[in-house]
Formats: sequence, structure tokens, C-alpha cells
Amino acid sequence: MVLTTLLIIALVGGLYMAWNIGANDVANAFGASVGGGALTIRHAIVLAAIFEFGGAFLVGAPVAETISGSIVSPDNFTVDPKVLAIGMLAALLGASIWLNIATFFGQPVSTTHAIIGGVVGFAVVSCGPACVHWLEMGTIAASWVVSPLIGGILAYSIYRWGIRRYVLNSRHPVFMAMAFVPVGMGALAAIVTFSVVFRGLPGLRLDLPLEWAAPIAAGAGLVVAAAIRLVLRKRMWRHGVPRAERYKTVERCFGYMQVATASYMSFAHGANDCANAIGPLAAAIQIIGNPTEVPAKIAIPPWLLAFGGIGIVLGLSTYGYKVIQTIGKNITEITPTRGFSSDFGTATTVLVFSKLGMPISTTFVVVGAVMGVGLARGFAALDLTVIRRIFMSWLITIPTSAVLSIVLYWLLMEIFG
Amino acid sequence: MGGLLGVFGKSPFEPLVEHARKVHECVKLVRPIADAILSGEQERLNELQFQMSKTEYEADQLKDGVRENLPHRYFLPVDREDIARFLAQMDRIADDAQDFAIVATFRRIGLPKEYHEEFLALVDKVVQVSEILLGVAEKLALLQKESFVGPDAEEVLSKIQEVARMEWESDKLSRKLARHYYGSSDLDPITIILIDKLCCALGGIANHAENVGKNLRLMITRR
Repeated sequence: MVLTTLLIIALVGGLYMAWNIGANDVANAFGASVGGGALTIRHAIVLAAIFEFGGAFLVGAPVAETISGSIVSPDNFTVDPKVLAIGMLAALLGASIWLNIATFFGQPVSTTHAIIGGVVGFAVVSCGPACVHWLEMGTIAASWVVSPLIGGILAYSIYRWGIRRYVLNSRHPVFMAMAFVPVGMGALAAIVTFSVVFRGLPGLRLDLPLEWAAPIAAGAGLVVAAAIRLVLRKRMWRHGVPRAERYKTVERCFGYMQVATASYMSFAHGANDCANAIGPLAAAIQIIGNPTEVPAKIAIPPWLLAFGGIGIVLGLSTYGYKVIQTIGKNITEITPTRGFSSDFGTATTVLVFSKLGMPISTTFVVVGAVMGVGLARGFAALDLTVIRRIFMSWLITIPTSAVLSIVLYWLLMEIFG
Repeated sequence: MGGLLGVFGKSPFEPLVEHARKVHECVKLVRPIADAILSGEQERLNELQFQMSKTEYEADQLKDGVRENLPHRYFLPVDREDIARFLAQMDRIADDAQDFAIVATFRRIGLPKEYHEEFLALVDKVVQVSEILLGVAEKLALLQKESFVGPDAEEVLSKIQEVARMEWESDKLSRKLARHYYGSSDLDPITIILIDKLCCALGGIANHAENVGKNLRLMITRR
């Protein structure tokens, strides 16, 4: 009876967390496209749903394994494995409550920081600080610092040495822009394909080694690039574009890629952040299923990834919808060239860290990428205090969700312990 | 980008272009004032001076608007000091134009016909410098969108060279006129003083215009 209640609480908690993840972050990916008029909100929600789910389902496992088993290992709970399950629940609920509060006040917070704060919180209280794998925690914390830097460097490089040098600085910017689009889309397709087939889901036979994955990904990239080139040829501006229209035409070219890069962002976000809900849930469910046995390794069944994906979709289509609606049409600063650089840099970084099993904050990476493009002289003015505030928010998020998690842990232990 | 939208601040470049346009409005009044000086219409001069003061005041307000919108917490694609210097030199153009208008009202300047052609040539040349400068300054917003590279940036750089060349030509005209009136024996000293002040104001407009061009070049080529 106790177990069934716990199971229900676990599933609800996981769904709640996934809902928060979807609600919080969809505007990051599709805000620019909707605000700039490239997509209607409805289409954006549909695309976001497809790609968040896809990323979560196909590439979400490594990060989920880290959160569920690498921060605090199950061996510490041989006396009463139920404690681990309750702790993971507390972490889920604590993090979700904090996320909900922050979203209500319009503050961009990191879902990743929240859940990890929650997990560390209950671990320290339930079996002592020695239980936490501080080495792993250190690596994760390091990745929180490194990932925005890499996102920034990538976005900077794409904008400065890709777009600025070869498109804006060339004698024939429109021609170069039209050449850039197939390359960009091909790279996008190759990276996504690689992330899915290289050591992907064993259940779907997507667990391929490098020798298979690399050529398949390269092939997918080339096919997409060729297809896009053909489509563009039909729309190619054969006659010269008048001088005054040149810049606008370049931006329009990159605008064609805006929808694809936004979907790419959603995919990467699903891959990294779905684990924030599914990781703890997987641990809780596995123990509830076998209450006396301490699991050697927490398994992440595909149906659980799908469950998380659905939760995210629910979140983005209910609350995320509202957030995008309030963005309005005033995003003149994120022109398609800049948007492409920062989105591509962000998504690639997030996806790479996901494959490495590192839970990072997509929000931080986005900020890093925007700074990168700003450093390459892409934006007219960036407000550094807002950026600093975003980075400072993690100082509040981790302790707060840890405290909430601890409180809920004690509460749940009282009821079910 | 949801809550991250606050990251993008207001661009200072469009207000800079507006200020540049207003400053050129001041300079455009210089030729009518010169005509009125030569024909001796004091009433008209007072009118024009009043108009000039009003326009210069509007330029000042635009300048303050730009300065207010340049807080240190903004990260910009050009150095903040370059923008500040650009703005300051633009401001001095408007100030010099206003000086020209005010000096013209001090006294009825009876300038003999022999000086008229040279004087008007200098006035026209200076106004031309300001025109070319405006054409360049108006490109500022576009340059920012193109990240300060490309054919437009190169065109702006060569136009800035042209501004410098025109300023040099206006210097030559100014010196020629000065030798003329300093060397004369039939002009009374007060007239010479006033003409000198007028020529200084005109020279100032051209000089500061050249400086604006130099600052713009720094903005483009630095980083």
C-alpha cells in the first residue's frame, strides 16, 4: 500500500518536474522565431513538442544515468533502499516547487541546477556528506563553467569567422549567404544524426560504434545539404540584388534556417534537461519495484524517457505557450544571422555535453553564446547586469532547492519511513 | 528567448544618426545667414539666429538622450569612448554654427563686394563638408547591422577620406580670404575682427567635421 502511494507520488512528481522543464525553456528556443514572425505560435509549439520529445527519447539516457546514479550511489542505501527512493522524490518535488515559484516571478532559472541541488540536499541529510561522489559533483560543477564558455567560443567562431568574414565581408554577400545555408543545415543534420546513432538507444538498435555512426551522420549531412541546395536553386536570386536590399536579403536567407536551428535547440534541450525529471524518477521507480534490493546500476527504460518527453510537451504547450505569447514582435536585435550563430553554438554544445552524460544548464549556455556573438560585434548593446543576474541566480537556486528537498525528505520519511 | 530578452539593450546608433541629422540642420542655416550678412538685412539675421538657437538646443537634447542611454553596464561593439568623442565633436559643429549666427547679429557688417565671392565660396565649401559627413554618419546604423565589415564599411572609409580632403580645401579658401582682408587698407578694424570670428566659426565646423570622420574611422577599424 505504502509502495503504491509512493509510486503514484513518484510518477506525479516526475511529471510535474518535466512539466516545469517544458514550461521554462521553450521560449529560449522558439522565442526569436515567433517574435520575428518566422513561425506562428501554434506551429512553434508543434515543432517544439516533436523535437523536445525526440531529444529526450533518443539522446536523454546518458544524463539521466548520471543524475540517477553517479551523484550519490545506491550502495549507500543497503540498509533501507526505500530511503533512496523517498530522497529522489523529495529532490524532484523540491526542485519543481522552486522552479514553479521562479517561473511565476518571470525569473529565468536553470532546471538542472535545481534538481542537482535537490539531489545533493537529500543525500547529505540522509546518509551524510561522505555519500556524495564529490569528484563527480566537481566534474559536473566544472561543466557548468565550461559549457557556457564553449557555447560562447562556438557562437563567436561561427559569427566572426563564418558569417562576418565570408558573408558580410564579401563582395557578394547574397551569393555567400545562399552558399552558407546548405552547409549550415547539413552540419546540423550530421550532428543530430550522429548524436542519435552513436551509442544511442540499444532498444531501438541505435547503439552503433564510431565506424558506423560517423559515416551515417556524414551521409545524412550531405544528403540534407544537397537537398537544401536544390531547393534554394529554384529561389536563387539570379539577377543582382540592389545595393540597398543586400543586407535584408542576407538576413532573409538566414531566416530560412531559423526554424531548423530552433528545432535543433529544442532537441538538444530535451536531451539534456529531460534527465532532470527522469533521472531521479528512474531511481525511485526501480527501488519501488524491488524494495529490498539495492540496484547496482539504475536502468533508464525507454518508456520512462518517453514519459518525461510527454511531460515536457505538456509543459511547453500549456505554460510555455503563454510565455511565448508575451514576447511580442519587438525582438529586432536577434536578426537571423545572430540567431543562427548563438542557437547553433548553444545546441551543439548542449548536445555534446548530453552525449557525455553531463547535466548542464541550457540557460547558461545560451547566455554564453549571446555574449560570444556580442564579442564578435554582433549586437548593438548587451546589458551586462542582466547577464550577471542570470549567472548569480544559480547561487540562489542550488541552496533553495536543496533546502526544499531536505524539508520534503523529512516530511516524506515521517509519513512513509 | 523568453526571460532572456532583457539582455538586449537599446541601440545607441539610431539616436546618434538622429543627432547627426539635427546638427546638419544647424549647418544648413549658415548659407542663408551668410546671404543676409552680405545684403545687410539685420531683421532677417535676428530671425535666423533665433532659429539657429532653437535647432542647436534640440540637438543638445538629442545629445543628452544618447549619453543617458550609454550606461557603463552596456557591452557595445565599439568603444564607448569612441562614441563619446564622436558625439562631442558633432556637438561642437552645432556650437560653431550657432557662434556664426550670433556673431552675425553683433553689428551691421559692411563687407565690400570684392570679398563676397570668396566669402560665399568658403561658406559653401564648409556646408559641403557637413553634407558629406551627414551622408557618412547616416550609414552608422547600417554599419552596425553589418558588423562594421564589408563593401559598405569600405565605402564609408573612403568617404571619410573625402571629408578630410574637403576640409583641407576649405582651409585653403579660409587662408586666402584671411590674407585678403588682413592685407586690406580700407576695412575698419572692427569689421575685420567680426569677419575673422565668422571665418573661425566656419573653419571650426569643417575641422570638427573632419574629427567626427576620424572618430567614425576608429569605430570601424578598432577591434
